[in-house]
Amino acid sequence: MTAERSDSAIAIRGVSYHLPGGCALVDSLSLEIPARLTLVLLGRSGSGKTTTLKLMNRLLDPTAGELFVEGRPAKDWDPIRLRRHMGYAIQDVGLFPHYTVERNIGLLPEVEGWPAIRARERVRELMALVGLDASLASRYPSELSGGQRQRVGVARALALDPPILLMDEPFGALDPLTRAELQGEFYRLQKRLGKTVVLVTHDLREALLLGARIALLESGRLAGLYTPDEFLRTSDALAVAYRQAFGAGSGPSHPPHGPALGGAQ
Amino acid sequence: MNLLDYLIAHPHEVLALSIEHISLAGFSVGIAFLVGLPLGVAIARRPALARAVLGVVNSIHVVPSLALFGFLFAVPWIGDRAPRMAVLALSLYTLLPILRNVCAGILGVDPAVVEAGRGLGLTEGQLLRRVELPLALGVIIAGIRVAVVLAIGITTIAAAIGAGGLGELIFRGLAMVNDSLIFAGALPAAILALLADSSLGWLEGRLRKRV
Amino acid sequence: MTLTPVRVLRAAVSVVVALSLSCGRQPSRAVVVVSKNFTEQAILGELLAQRIERAAHLPVERRFYLAGTYICHQALLAGHADVYVEYTGTALTAVLKEPPVTGSEAVFERVRAEYARRWGLAVLPSLGFNNSFAVVVRGADARRFNLSTLSGAAARAPLWRLGVGFEFMERPDGYSGMVKAYGLSFRELPRVMDLGLLYRALQERQVDLVVGNSTDGLINALDLVALDDDRHYFPPYDAVPVVRQEALAEFPGLREALEGLGGHISAADMRRMNFAVDGEHRDSAEVVREYLQAHNL
Repeated sequence: MTAERSDSAIAIRGVSYHLPGGCALVDSLSLEIPARLTLVLLGRSGSGKTTTLKLMNRLLDPTAGELFVEGRPAKDWDPIRLRRHMGYAIQDVGLFPHYTVERNIGLLPEVEGWPAIRARERVRELMALVGLDASLASRYPSELSGGQRQRVGVARALALDPPILLMDEPFGALDPLTRAELQGEFYRLQKRLGKTVVLVTHDLREALLLGARIALLESGRLAGLYTPDEFLRTSDALAVAYRQAFGAGSGPSHPPHGPALGGAQ
Repeated sequence: MNLLDYLIAHPHEVLALSIEHISLAGFSVGIAFLVGLPLGVAIARRPALARAVLGVVNSIHVVPSLALFGFLFAVPWIGDRAPRMAVLALSLYTLLPILRNVCAGILGVDPAVVEAGRGLGLTEGQLLRRVELPLALGVIIAGIRVAVVLAIGITTIAAAIGAGGLGELIFRGLAMVNDSLIFAGALPAAILALLADSSLGWLEGRLRKRV
Repeated sequence: MTLTPVRVLRAAVSVVVALSLSCGRQPSRAVVVVSKNFTEQAILGELLAQRIERAAHLPVERRFYLAGTYICHQALLAGHADVYVEYTGTALTAVLKEPPVTGSEAVFERVRAEYARRWGLAVLPSLGFNNSFAVVVRGADARRFNLSTLSGAAARAPLWRLGVGFEFMERPDGYSGMVKAYGLSFRELPRVMDLGLLYRALQERQVDLVVGNSTDGLINALDLVALDDDRHYFPPYDAVPVVRQEALAEFPGLREALEGLGGHISAADMRRMNFAVDGEHRDSAEVVREYLQAHNL
């Protein structure tokens, strides 16, 4: 009963989430999220994508159906351990304003009881990984730019080296230039780290850029599951509508170009 | 005898009563804080409960302080000693500003910060201790500031039931229609209130700036 | 505008004084009877009021529980009150601020003459009893240490705490004089509180001696003992009506009504009435009515 497909990091089976008033934000959703790939939850506002994300780390619990994380029912996981097994990065970032960059990133290791030296090493490592200059370690969030803050958010999410990463429109609040830059770097990072990433966005371009799979949501239901190529070719009405809305013609499904990206990887 | 002469002639008395005054007020605010902090944290998470609790605590303010002192006479153990009645009444009065500000302070923390903290896997306790309370501290201190000034003021009335403090000089002055005596009590009390208000205000400013 | 204690207090004091002295009088006047803020005074005020109503058939306005001797005195001077019951010793030392004199008659004469001379106030003959300050201890302590006089208690003073009312602390015939006269050295400053709370504090052992009144109703009832003023520190305190000359002129029958009470009320009577109100919690108006009817006044 519990043995699931071994390369499915998260399995969603007939899950619904109803508000107390009865309205369903997620409605009988079933989805398999393969391990070590980036799956994008694409949809408009109110399509249930953020709710679905929150069901994965038990910030919300389903009103119907079941979720499985790495083969075990999510409700059998201790919520704290579950969340620390996943990284969490949101659009507003939510950096702790009273902590320095270093302390923000190092908070989870500290709470997990890592020795100070190891924690500090990890922070240094992560800052380099996300492209933050080491001198920023003692700065406070209020002193950083939007792009820098988002990088700290990602570093913080990766602090415990979780196998799964949940991201809710992480680049949404950035200006187009910075956004493109970060998307590129994130793609590179993901190829290097090989994490299971669930990324919520309403931006088709981002979905095509970063996603290995695209789950299209509408009104809390799964409207379709595609690879980027499939998405560009399908004649499903909703996908077509998206393509048209974004003027997508020749959007390639693969890596972004751009000066900031240097290849090697 | 004018005010200055009185203060010069009775420094020990004014000092002793001032210390008594500070103890009554300080002890009461301390109790209100010990009750108000956890209670405020508890109701911050539950809006319906928050409304009910704040409603009850607010209604205490409807009772005139002198009347509340009077009611407490009937309470066993508390009513046997004037300082006990005074401390209980003062704690009840100062509970509201503290409770309200603890609640408001916590609710005022940026929801994104709280969501991020929770989503990353901080326990509720860690979230409270490391994130919410430090960020709410400025507002909480503001509440304590109001409570302290309130306590210093109401403590002057406690002298009517024999609890001591600077109010005693005021009541003695009233009985004799003696301005100097009244001011010998009122002036130190006012100075205490001003000192408390400005030092806590400075502290509040420092804490708010950090965030 | 911040509510500092001084501001609140000033406002409160103004309100208190204004209310207690307020006129709000209609042209066709009633006799205004006032009293101080303890039980006996309220009873005496009621006594005067009912006597005036019964004997002189005049309308009476009552304002009792004024904050103390000086407030009552000032009310008379300002014309906001017409009559109240004062005690000769208090009048002499606290109001006239003269050194104490011994002898009931001497004190009465001095007070009568000076009140008339300085302020045009008439002091009528005593109602019949003396209500002195009484230093009171718990019966158990009196028996254990064999105490019957105040000098006897001086030996215990360093170990004991004294409880007094606000006025006693400040009056010339009050705390400082008593301490000097008997060589009392208490271990700390006295506990000062409203008069009505003193006996309670004594019972609860918050204090070990209190300065109450010799005619207090609760002394016997609570097994308390009033110590004898063996060094005669306190002057006599005969209860006398003090009334404005203008009121006597304005209200026919007022003088006769008040003088008619002279000498009729004994200390025992006063104590009994005090106890009826303080100990039995009866209504003072009723107690006074009964008393007046019983004595045909």
